[in-house]
Amino acid sequence: MTRRLSFEEIDHTADRAFRVTGRDMAALLENAARAMQSMDRDGPQPIAEPTATQAVDVEGVDDESLLVNWLNEILYLQQAHHLVCEEFHIDDLKNHCLRARVETRECDPTCTHIKAVTFHNLKIRETSEGLGAEIVVDV
Amino acid sequence: MLSKEHVERVAEHVWEIPKTFRDDMRVPARLYADEDLLDAALLDNSVVQLVNTATLPGVVRYAIAMPDIHQGYGFPIGGVVATRLPEGVISPGGVGYDINCGVRLLVSLASVAEIHPHLEGIASRLYANCPSGVGSHGQLRLNNTELDEVLHEGSRWMMGKGYASGDDLDRTEEFGRIPGADAAFVSDRARERGRNQLGTLGAGNHFIEVDKIAEVYDQATAARLGLYSGNVAVQIHCGSRGLGHQICEDYVSRFQKTARDYGIELPDRELVCAPFDSKDGQEYFRAMACGANFAFANRQLLAHLIRQSFQEVLVGKIKDVELHQVYDIAHNMAKVEEHNVGGCSVRVCVHRKGATRAFGPGSSVLPDDLRDLGQPVLIPGSMGTASYVLIGTKAAMQETFGSTCHGGGRVMSRAKAKKMVRGTELRDQLKSRGILICAGSMSGLAEEAPVAYKDVSRVVEVVHKLGIGRKIARLEPVAVIKG
Repeated sequence: MTRRLSFEEIDHTADRAFRVTGRDMAALLENAARAMQSMDRDGPQPIAEPTATQAVDVEGVDDESLLVNWLNEILYLQQAHHLVCEEFHIDDLKNHCLRARVETRECDPTCTHIKAVTFHNLKIRETSEGLGAEIVVDV
Repeated sequence: MLSKEHVERVAEHVWEIPKTFRDDMRVPARLYADEDLLDAALLDNSVVQLVNTATLPGVVRYAIAMPDIHQGYGFPIGGVVATRLPEGVISPGGVGYDINCGVRLLVSLASVAEIHPHLEGIASRLYANCPSGVGSHGQLRLNNTELDEVLHEGSRWMMGKGYASGDDLDRTEEFGRIPGADAAFVSDRARERGRNQLGTLGAGNHFIEVDKIAEVYDQATAARLGLYSGNVAVQIHCGSRGLGHQICEDYVSRFQKTARDYGIELPDRELVCAPFDSKDGQEYFRAMACGANFAFANRQLLAHLIRQSFQEVLVGKIKDVELHQVYDIAHNMAKVEEHNVGGCSVRVCVHRKGATRAFGPGSSVLPDDLRDLGQPVLIPGSMGTASYVLIGTKAAMQETFGSTCHGGGRVMSRAKAKKMVRGTELRDQLKSRGILICAGSMSGLAEEAPVAYKDVSRVVEVVHKLGIGRKIARLEPVAVIKG
């Protein structure tokens, strides 16, 4: 079965941007992570089996900063530890703190092109599908 | 969105959005552009972003945009904002994630005609010796002490290791070392991301380019800089790699809370900032200086690797294989400078985000042999187009806090460019025009297609006519190594 994508790339002159939705905050976080991975040019290519599960703890001062810090955590795993993140499970989420499990495999770090996730005009809004946000990443 | 009716013409190529346009503006926003470039800027959110920067606490005179303005995040790219010290702010987003992204120019006394039979060999060695890609690693492995030394010393550290000459340092902005760097304010994560990345190019719009000096506009000044028509030049465009990205990320994240503590209200969270002389402002400035020094060291090591590549291919084949440094400039940086504001010399923090310092003749910060000329300014093109060497001017000191443009500026999103252009076709087209391309990713190449950029010659013509940068020479690419 094909998973329905909950994001779309939107126009940005110099960098990259995407719109993402989720039925709740946990789904928004998971979908945003999938969106960013999917948008990364050529994608960080896995070079090893098997997968390993990483526990990830992230906090923010509000929902928007939690979202940015979470996505930046995934970039950090890729670029510093050479791990491509393939699946995301938010296990606990409260007071702008999350605990997640991320399935990872070793990757070639040269394939990623996103430098950082920005706060540019970031606002999580209520939508007909739950929550939505537009995120700009620096490339 | 803003439209042309909100913009007032002040003089030829000078436009202003008055302070009355929005209640939160502290100064007017000023845009330097011809009519077509202004129209292009109004197509996306660039000018709104410019107006947003006019709200920063302590901003003086006006928030400025150069003719290569385009949409970024927080600040527009092509933006210059000076804040009065000590109470004015410093904004990590006003520098960007790629701290001290910049350009270095090397020149040879050999002509392109002499090296042309060996061009494929040179491009191939450059591609092999200078790793590219966002997460790529170089050959230099640094322990903690050595990394601290690089963060404090910049290019000077490279001289100690035999990778730089005294002439290289003299011909680098700030002599290759920003004062005030303190590695205590750089996180372990930033160190981890940057530790093995010295001597690497990165991705996106970064490149190494072998050029022909196609035209010289001022023979006497060009000769002083070693620029002769028909000769070989090499440009390096890159920055502080993962270390700089992480420093920016760390402080933008931290300032999300502290900006509220200082009572700073902003129209965009990416503009978060702290008073320059506050603990937060000082810690960011000292960390940013480390990122800047890392970038100077990175371009220095790349220059060494480029010289090595030329030696490997050309020794015994042509007479003169030396590459001399013309200059190295930063175009993403915040610096403490003295400028004339309202007839008084004022200490300001100048944010240049996609803008180049362009100090005029007589500046005390220039090396002795360039002081009467002004600072060389390097304006890179976009793979298939020209690049320019300018010289800084007194008009730039008076009008734009000693700043000018930094390149062509994008007009098309990466997604649209990829839909319009195929990387392999672009590579073949450029080859048919005599431009060799080495790139790790064909889709990345398509994103950077020349059609996605404004006409750099037009941008340069505007700054030349305004007198905020004087044309010295035009370079045309013959081989490009893309990140």
